[in-house]
Amino acid sequence: MSATASTQIFPSFEQVYQGLASQIGMLREMAPQPTKSDEKRLQGAIDTLIADTNADEAVWLESCIHCGQCTNACHYFQSMQDAKYAPMRKMDLYRRVYHRELSPMRWWHRLVTKPVKLSDFEEAKELIYDSCTECGRCTMVCPMGIDTASLVHHMRSAMVAAELVPPELAALRMEQKHQGTVFGSSPEKLKEMIDTIQAQAGVHIPLDKETADVMVLSSAVDLVANGNGLLATAKIMNHLGVDWTICSDGFESANFGLLSGDMALWKKQADPIVAAAQRVKAKTVVIAECGHAYPALRWNPMLRSGELPFQMMYMSEFLGKQAKDGKLRLRPLDEKVTFHDPCKTGRRGGAFDEPRAVLEAMGADLVEMANNKEYNWCCGGGAGIFLLQDATKLRDESFKIKIREVNETGATAVVVSCASCRLNFESGRQKNHWDKRVESLVELTAAHLIDNEAIDDEAPARGAVQ
Amino acid sequence: MTLLDFARGPAIHASLIILAAGIVLRLVGVLALTRGADLSRPRDAFGNFKGYRTVFSRAWPSSEFNAATVYQTVMAYVFHIATLLVVIGIVPHIEFITSLTGASWPGLPNFIGVALGTIALVSLLALIVRRLSKPAIYNSTVGDYITWIIVALPLLTGLMAFAHVGFRYETMLALHILSAALLFAYMPFSKLMHAFWFIFSRAQSGLAYAHKGVRI
Repeated sequence: MSATASTQIFPSFEQVYQGLASQIGMLREMAPQPTKSDEKRLQGAIDTLIADTNADEAVWLESCIHCGQCTNACHYFQSMQDAKYAPMRKMDLYRRVYHRELSPMRWWHRLVTKPVKLSDFEEAKELIYDSCTECGRCTMVCPMGIDTASLVHHMRSAMVAAELVPPELAALRMEQKHQGTVFGSSPEKLKEMIDTIQAQAGVHIPLDKETADVMVLSSAVDLVANGNGLLATAKIMNHLGVDWTICSDGFESANFGLLSGDMALWKKQADPIVAAAQRVKAKTVVIAECGHAYPALRWNPMLRSGELPFQMMYMSEFLGKQAKDGKLRLRPLDEKVTFHDPCKTGRRGGAFDEPRAVLEAMGADLVEMANNKEYNWCCGGGAGIFLLQDATKLRDESFKIKIREVNETGATAVVVSCASCRLNFESGRQKNHWDKRVESLVELTAAHLIDNEAIDDEAPARGAVQ
Repeated sequence: MTLLDFARGPAIHASLIILAAGIVLRLVGVLALTRGADLSRPRDAFGNFKGYRTVFSRAWPSSEFNAATVYQTVMAYVFHIATLLVVIGIVPHIEFITSLTGASWPGLPNFIGVALGTIALVSLLALIVRRLSKPAIYNSTVGDYITWIIVALPLLTGLMAFAHVGFRYETMLALHILSAALLFAYMPFSKLMHAFWFIFSRAQSGLAYAHKGVRI
């Protein structure tokens, strides 16, 4: 039941990463081709932007003074030093559409500017997908406080209408839209994984209970590659003794609707989760360590969560709450570690204290990076970018910022709480022969549970297991 | 009608009308758009109001960004403060404002006015030098340079008129007033509108992030 046992049942995360990387390579071939005429694609993109533009977006588009402050705040610019990656450039096309279609000066802009073309959207693709994780760090320095990440998200929705979604995201979007799965993570796959965990690790996962206080979500990465993630979750839930379940009709955290910009698919994916949670009379829905799932469910402005009878918590929030309440009994982690705030749960989610509370409960020597919490540097893999082959160089180069920041802390391990971050860290670790360990918060916690005193003698801290 | 009469009369008055009407047109045209409601449950029921502090807190960048921003921030502050003091502080400007509104207040001594005008112009030069020397950071457009010129002209012509440099005094004064008229008429249609937008833009982001319990 220790970390040693779990690494024997399922492949190590190093192998998980390598396995997923080869699967991602195949996605490009599965990508759908555009089906509509160029005119319809262009008009669709423009109409999407018009529909998405409220006063908030208009004010942000109007406010930019080209002061250049955002440029240095972006990890992609920092690593590439190429003007085109400046965050301010990422809203240029949106602003052109806004100027011609909605701005109070539109009559003027229609006189003096050329109409936007489909090729403009094609050219913007790299800025909207490959080089923006929607991490929001540029907002932290912008003297106008412009939320560029929100504008990029609207641009992604326009890209869906223009059928310009990058092949990897397009393939997964189509899979989730038509089969309801991600990388084949079907309800059958869930059942299979739960049976494997029961049979080989002896850990029970209550699937499809009629009612439960806590409904736990899983994620594709856990189901098709990293069984340790779900195993760790189960161990913790059982340790806490909570009344919990996983519902086979609403378990997938990953939302390729939100990642690609397809908000109809976002809803198609989010609705069954909400319905399942209501059916089982859950008081809490715990979102797996899948960064984008947090804004997809907890913070989506279109999800009327204030009226729902349950609260939604990210895994790190749930663990942090249990740690603060003294319900998690954890063995000490005698190690200097640092914590990487995933942008979707940190700066754009607000779950800062909880993951740190878990590490504190383990007595870890937590050293913060120079830029932490709201100011954390994005790892470069968020918003689906980890999957994009075209973004490989951007991702690899920008990750060097993260290596530097972690190295400066003197920590021996970096703890993350997001599958995308973790995969990107693992990729960066392997490519750079980096001597730091990358840990997932949920797996680290599971490995330090005090369930049985006898286990302590034979299982060293997970940190020592290679 | 001399050039000076034209500048002091129809030119400056027309520019002020364009300024006022343009500001209203642009503000109303944007702020009248609908606002999407955020239906998600806030982290803290009354926490959203904390977002308004971003309007003030964003007046200075956080220390994390010091190395990249301090030069520009200091220069921008010097420019804005010096320019504001010149605009409302020197006697000829106060007389002009009095002629329009009736309000009046004591002016700054001439040498301070000149010093402030010079400081403003030098800081503006310091900003354009940086913009030109780091093209990758600024991604400057033609509009950025036109705006710089239109802002610099009243400062330059005002100092020249005061120092009796260039054309004869009346001509320089007329050119100074015309350059101010150009600035007024240009303001609502340019990035100079940030004088208003910054409040809304900061507040919006502040509220959106405060909703999630994040202080930006």
